[in-house]
Amino acid sequence: MSLQYLKEAVAEGDTEKLIRYVRLHFGDGNEAVGRKEIDKAWVEALKLLLDVPATDREFILQTLSEKDSATLAHLFFHLHFYFVQRSGDWIHDGQL
Amino acid sequence: MTDNSDSATQLRPGLWATVNERYPGVMITKADYMPLAKLHKPLSESRLTFISTAGVQPRGTLPFDTVHPIGDYTFRRVPSDSKPSELEIHQLKYPTAGATRDLNVIFPIERLQELASDGVIGNLAPNFFSFIGYNMDAERLERTLAERLADAVVAEEADIALLSPA
Repeated sequence: MSLQYLKEAVAEGDTEKLIRYVRLHFGDGNEAVGRKEIDKAWVEALKLLLDVPATDREFILQTLSEKDSATLAHLFFHLHFYFVQRSGDWIHDGQL
Repeated sequence: MTDNSDSATQLRPGLWATVNERYPGVMITKADYMPLAKLHKPLSESRLTFISTAGVQPRGTLPFDTVHPIGDYTFRRVPSDSKPSELEIHQLKYPTAGATRDLNVIFPIERLQELASDGVIGNLAPNFFSFIGYNMDAERLERTLAERLADAVVAEEADIALLSPA
């Protein structure tokens, strides 16, 4: 999808188009795969917290309060791929 | 003529035919046509550079931004005298297993070094150039990345720019 296509979807409030893009992006062109990839990242993150390990909440809160939204959005994409890679189930052709 | 679109030789049969369906609006058409420049001297006297979308970069340089949803509009200089062991790949859109075993299959740096050494090519520009092909903003690509790349190629006085998609 072109950037213009996505911006038009945002302007029109067409969430379905945007969701489709996100799934295609994470699924290497396959929507169903993309949904599973998103779930996979969340499950991997969840697994890490089941035993309630100590985490650096100060870092998290400081990052959320001090960093701009675009940087946090970029971080969100990084985190998705980080957890997918950590799961050991890597479907992508290339490497980060 | 053989139709290879669905043959066993394709890693993903039918992929090309579905690109526009899967990524609406991504197919780019240009109204204007830019002819290739003519080479005005023999290849054996020409300086060549190589430009690739393979996401190849010197180890230790900032990795290409493979996760950004809109793409990465930067490029990396790859010294043309590099050894494959000094380079690495960062990209998510093509199978890298073969290139990991032998970088030359996607970024033929040693073959070009050999051609220069044998005198087939006059010499190599100091640097080759690489970026990633996943870029959603065609205008930004042309306005920034392509323009900067062209300037860099001209600055290195290359007579030939060998272009290769990954």
